[in-house]
Amino acid sequence: TESTSPDSNAFVFCVSVVEGLALLDLGVSPYSGAIFHETPLIIYLFHFLIEYAEFVFMITDVLTAVALYLAIQDFNKVVFKKQKFLIELDKYAPDVAELIQTPMEMHYIPLKVALFYLLNPYTVMSCVAKSTCAINNTVIAFFILATIKGSAFLSAVFLALATYQSLYPLTLFAPALLYLLQREFIPIKLKSKSFWLYTMQYTALYLCSLVVIICLSFFLLNSWDFIPSVYGFILSVPDLTPNIGLFWYFFAEMFEHFSLFFICVFQINVFFYTIPLAIKLKEHPVFFMFVQIAVISIFKSYPTVGDIALYMAFLPVWSHLYRFLRNIFILSCVLVVCSLLFPVLWHLWIYAGSANSNFYYAITLAFNIGQILLISDYFYAFLRREYYLTHGLHLTRQDGTEAMLVLK
Amino acid sequence: MASSCAREVVISFILLKKSNSFSIFQDQAEQFFRSGHTNNWAVLVCTSRFWFNYRHVANTLSVYRSVKRLGIPDSHIVLMLADDMACNPRNPKPATVFSHKNMELNVYGDDVEVDYRSYEVTVENFLRVLTGRIPPSTPRSKRLLSDDRSNILIYMTGHGGNGFLKFQDSEEITNVELADAFEQMWQKRRYNELLFIIDTCQGASMYERFYSPNIMALASSQVGEDSLSHQPDLAIGVHLMDRYTFYVLEFLEEIHPASQTNMNDLFQVCPKSLCVSTPGHRTDLFQRDPQNVLITDFFGSVRKVEITTETVSLDSDLAGFESNLPKDELATEPLKYAEQLPVAQIIHQKPKQKDWHPPGGFILGLWALIIMVFFKTYGIKHMKHIF
Repeated sequence: TESTSPDSNAFVFCVSVVEGLALLDLGVSPYSGAIFHETPLIIYLFHFLIEYAEFVFMITDVLTAVALYLAIQDFNKVVFKKQKFLIELDKYAPDVAELIQTPMEMHYIPLKVALFYLLNPYTVMSCVAKSTCAINNTVIAFFILATIKGSAFLSAVFLALATYQSLYPLTLFAPALLYLLQREFIPIKLKSKSFWLYTMQYTALYLCSLVVIICLSFFLLNSWDFIPSVYGFILSVPDLTPNIGLFWYFFAEMFEHFSLFFICVFQINVFFYTIPLAIKLKEHPVFFMFVQIAVISIFKSYPTVGDIALYMAFLPVWSHLYRFLRNIFILSCVLVVCSLLFPVLWHLWIYAGSANSNFYYAITLAFNIGQILLISDYFYAFLRREYYLTHGLHLTRQDGTEAMLVLK
Repeated sequence: MASSCAREVVISFILLKKSNSFSIFQDQAEQFFRSGHTNNWAVLVCTSRFWFNYRHVANTLSVYRSVKRLGIPDSHIVLMLADDMACNPRNPKPATVFSHKNMELNVYGDDVEVDYRSYEVTVENFLRVLTGRIPPSTPRSKRLLSDDRSNILIYMTGHGGNGFLKFQDSEEITNVELADAFEQMWQKRRYNELLFIIDTCQGASMYERFYSPNIMALASSQVGEDSLSHQPDLAIGVHLMDRYTFYVLEFLEEIHPASQTNMNDLFQVCPKSLCVSTPGHRTDLFQRDPQNVLITDFFGSVRKVEITTETVSLDSDLAGFESNLPKDELATEPLKYAEQLPVAQIIHQKPKQKDWHPPGGFILGLWALIIMVFFKTYGIKHMKHIF
């Protein structure tokens, strides 16, 4: 029931791309049906690859893993360099020796990241279901690789591709910009001219590539049909098929009168976290990127398990935060149990008829709460470590008693 | 037309009072006013369930009892009861349904045949019974097998309102639907004359919309009025009957198969002083004068029997009849399933030709862009190493 399970649906390949291509063969625009919501570049890609669909998805997963491996390898080098720089500048407190990352323990992290991605059951499920989320993951992985390598041009191109395919990677513009600014040693001050110059350059690169890609896709079908069908579909959420996200139940129950308001609220919710995160995490753009990808995969309009697989692949990069994580047991239980209960309750609801949508949505809610707890835990742990690095491990209050950090 | 014939009868009666042809004329005149039906049917429907609607079941069973007593057999009665009161766990006297308090009259009896029971009493089933559009698997006892010479009595009781009657607490039948059903019956020649009696609140609204001929309708209350129940029995704990049907039952107990009581007397049953609501009736669609319509035309099954004193002999040469029977043809070739899918062809078919190809401009543009990006990243100088 892979293709019928909703965990990797709305952009599920099997039904929608085949239908799109069949419609094209009949001479009709593939967007005239209600199933196909892929971009024209996907049409082009699968036009000649449709018979080898399984291989295509296996190759994309391998490419994602390789890209992540190379990206994290470079990132480790950057982290290590920065750490050395800060130690020489005496920015760290004297008793934090145990918190500093050593090359020894960081040696296997890229391999772990690649393995985390490839062996994740979510990735396997998404590959078996042939969901186009895998292609999205590949593009985002290449984008991360390009950003970490420092090539602004390539990163803008890949980000444009990722935004073109599903709208939400637009929010990854901010962490990429921050990372590139950091790499070019341009300080982030609002008055600094070089800051604005670089930002303008990057924005121009990004927007130009986006425009070029969209115009190119116009020429595929000689029509602008794909814009309402792809972006309108993502933004206005007309399809309320149950998935692991939060949108469907809400909008199924809602009155017509309020649906526009709540769509706006939900979509703003996805994009909004960029601003406070950018302010807080401007020194740590890669962690910002991780949190941003996680936020996208929880709050986007049609999440699939492939999105979850992508940000989970990053968890080994922050394995040094393990000692600061507080809820790791509960949330791993929640995530495992909910993932196991998803197909059970789906079966009970749809096939056995003895449960109803509330059961399934309850599991969805619990799963998403687990994910949010995961991100907030890592966020807390990261910030706490940073605080300890600069202020020393044994914190004392004014009067000398032991203090504890809380995340407000 | 009726009045001119009446005048003719009177004139002929006066003129030929003492002649022998008086009886012939009287027979002819009486023949004219008699109903032309040859069989009687009854469809009795109780639409409410739950114990506190005991009285609706009792209503229907009283009419059933009267109708059966006056001669209509069970095969010609379609009895629909939405709930089982006799065997209801709350019935202190199981297997009985009483219509009078102090348990004077048990209308359930030993020989009640319920055709549609419990959840089978739905608007759909009722309309299917009336119009005859029943699935072929329906047993004979559940069918209304009337023809164009049938007089049908339709009695409905339950909870109703202005223009509708509630079935089973979950659906309604409207007066428009009912009128259309009767029109279908008329067009399919399923009745000769139809008497429709309804005992619900605002019952008169149900017959407002009838437009087919030969229908006479009675209702227990006018639009805007409620039909009230008669009397509770303190031992059973619920109201036993509705007022209108209670007095109709008392009226019908006086009728016997040979009685000459006519419809006008039925209209007088239950005046406002007894019933509190105003019963109504509608006779404009009916072609005969209600004065001339006997109660037993609808409630009884009066058969016209012709007694003859001659003997009729049947022909004995029935032997030549059998030769016309067709012989069964033996199957000459063995039977097998038709080829549904050409499996052999499907397995070995090549992938079908694609008709759509991306336009050349697109491919060109795409690859040009890819090559541009490639060179921008890696620089032209690397080309030297490739070539």
